[in-house]
Amino acid sequence: MPLSYEPLNVNTDITTTKTLLHEVIPLTGTIVSGTYNDANIKNFSHGMFQSVYDYPYLSSSANHIFDLTCGYDESSPLSSSTATQNSKKINLYNQFSQVLLGYTGSNNVVRLFESDLKLDQTGSMKEVVILSFSRLLTKDQIKQGTVNLKLGIGSWATPDSSTISLQDLAAATNGEGTTNTVGGDYGILFDSTASLASETPSSSHGAIFYQSGIAILSSSVFAGIADFNSGSIVSGSGPNALSFDQSLVSASISGTCDALRHRTVNLSYNNSTEINSTIYFCRMPVNKFNYSSNPTYTSGSKIRVKNNSTDLPATYATTVGLYNARNELIATAKLSEPLKKTPQNELTIRVRLDY
Amino acid sequence: MSYRKFGPNDVVLNTMRAHPRVNFFIYNSKVYHNDTPHLSGAFSNDILNVSGIVSGAFNLFEYNIDRSGSTAVNDDESVTTTGPNPPIVPYITKDSARASFKTVGATTYNNEFAYGDTLYRAYPLTASITREFMSPRAGQRAHLIDTESGEVTLNAGAPAYPHFYSLKNRLNNYQYMSEHYAISSSFNDGWDKNDQKVNMISIPSIFYGSKIDPGSVSLKWYFTGSLIGELRDSKENGELVEITGTNTGSTAGVVLYNEGIILLTGSWALNPTALGLLDNGTIDRPSWIYFGAGTNDGVNPTSASPSFPTASFNMSFNGTTETQTYTMFARAGTGQANYSNNPTFLEYGQDQIETTGSQIYEENPIRKIKNTASSSFATQEADFKRQVYVSRIAIYDKNKNLIGVATLADPVLKEEQQDYTFKIKLDI
Repeated sequence: MPLSYEPLNVNTDITTTKTLLHEVIPLTGTIVSGTYNDANIKNFSHGMFQSVYDYPYLSSSANHIFDLTCGYDESSPLSSSTATQNSKKINLYNQFSQVLLGYTGSNNVVRLFESDLKLDQTGSMKEVVILSFSRLLTKDQIKQGTVNLKLGIGSWATPDSSTISLQDLAAATNGEGTTNTVGGDYGILFDSTASLASETPSSSHGAIFYQSGIAILSSSVFAGIADFNSGSIVSGSGPNALSFDQSLVSASISGTCDALRHRTVNLSYNNSTEINSTIYFCRMPVNKFNYSSNPTYTSGSKIRVKNNSTDLPATYATTVGLYNARNELIATAKLSEPLKKTPQNELTIRVRLDY
Repeated sequence: MSYRKFGPNDVVLNTMRAHPRVNFFIYNSKVYHNDTPHLSGAFSNDILNVSGIVSGAFNLFEYNIDRSGSTAVNDDESVTTTGPNPPIVPYITKDSARASFKTVGATTYNNEFAYGDTLYRAYPLTASITREFMSPRAGQRAHLIDTESGEVTLNAGAPAYPHFYSLKNRLNNYQYMSEHYAISSSFNDGWDKNDQKVNMISIPSIFYGSKIDPGSVSLKWYFTGSLIGELRDSKENGELVEITGTNTGSTAGVVLYNEGIILLTGSWALNPTALGLLDNGTIDRPSWIYFGAGTNDGVNPTSASPSFPTASFNMSFNGTTETQTYTMFARAGTGQANYSNNPTFLEYGQDQIETTGSQIYEENPIRKIKNTASSSFATQEADFKRQVYVSRIAIYDKNKNLIGVATLADPVLKEEQQDYTFKIKLDI
């Protein structure tokens, strides 16, 4: 129980701050395909997506890193009743676009993904691959301007012989280069060689939703690759070597996802976590806190730190107690080393409470 | 929808105390926590990435599974990575909030980083048991040299084992439990721990919670796989008494239950065969001061004599965890909670609106409730009963904000004359 309390003035002694803690998340491509012989890839009987782990998922140490799926809008020329898993591919597209972009027009039509920030239903991406990152890794949000997805666009046999890096080059943490939608802010994934001066469809190949942690890749990334998918891993029917569009039609969702993983070279981004803090400036005025109720402060009815009666009293502050309005102790802050307080000095101790 | 207020005896706050069993097995300078094996991966010999530094450890977040290489964050927040599978690293930018990592000291933070600089550290954050062998004397101190006179005072300088010094007050304080805690004593033949070899094992609180459960500690010494000694704190006063070995009934050390520290001073031989238990390659006979050799203490197959792997150790105890639990009694008394807002509670096909217009809106006043009473006969409908099926209970705060929902495993039929009390538990 302290001898006296020093009231905190809510206007001058208490303030709040926000700190951003980031993490660099590098994901090596071989983890996604190769290293673990797909023991870290979980496919489900519904066949609507596959989950990628950072270690064989039967181990309790494995962490889920992202889900992978693909789909197209019903207005896509690929949509056909004869396409493999046609309705599931349409439903997946609609589900993601509805959650991330919402509706448009008086008829409440689900918006289409766009390769620009205009949200005017032009530049639509109707055939897409969707990567939904784990909240464990994205935390509060993906940091704008840090996404880098490197994909192999060579032949099936040597996909890394030619690569493309998709980056959110135009996005910044101040909101530039992003647009806000119902699914949060999103930025455009450009070919890293693109000139930012021209936001042309030829250089933008997808979108990244920062708060939702979802990346949308357009089919344009793989345009011109005759053997995007090898027949050996295709679960559906069709020719042995498939272009991206053919794979989206003929292969199962997991088959197309397998092919995309085969072409994943590297993936990295930074995440952000907001740490909110309250800072209490605990002031020790010149004429206060010069006595201690610690039993060791006195010895034989004399103050231990005074040698002569004329000496100034002194205390060593070791702990700051924070009390509520009813003088109930609610928290203590410990100093790394005691601070000397005398009637000749004033101290302000800055106590930060993170939550 | 009506609300029912909790009465003064309807909400109870309890503390549930549990004692989880914790086991460490130590062999060949590897520590196995609760028999969890060390898994090797494609990139790392230990997928948790902790055995190279410390073993048998808790890995906070368990982020960097099977990673190898390094990740560095530059001041412009660009990233440099090396290795085949570089790890995740956290970073923070120095700003006026002055947030930092605990590993960055105040002086370093103030002097070596400008505002806007990036501070980063490495995962994993780990906690593990450690052993400190204090020899030849736990109270050993450096010589104090007066810089002016050049006078040398023996054994008066900085302590060689500061951890032992910092524990002296605590040890003497626990003398009320057992005399064996005392730093020096004339009890039995007397002792002074300052002059003894002391084997200290530190257990981080993440392993045991608020305290080690008295009476649950067991230390076992194995030589070539055979048990040659066991200590127990069966008196529950902190004394570790030998129950198996060459000197049964003797106290070989003490446990600091609240601090998670075990101090062993028993130096009698448990077996006549000497083996390598020290990091300087010398050999000695097994005794309690060598218990846990290899527990993150520098003793390993390289530094110790080749006979080191013939020793193995087991340490087990119960921790103590305390979980606060709210128990709420939600009462649905006779004649209460007999109506549902579920649309299926009413018979299907009835008009909801009687009249509506620009100045009037009147609901149908004679809509019928669906009779859900079960009949005993196939062709006969039972008489109407006022009854509901309770499927969930919602908890509201005093401002009627929904703060929690408890869902029943199966809906419970409540008839008008019945009186139910639902017991809801919430761990906080």
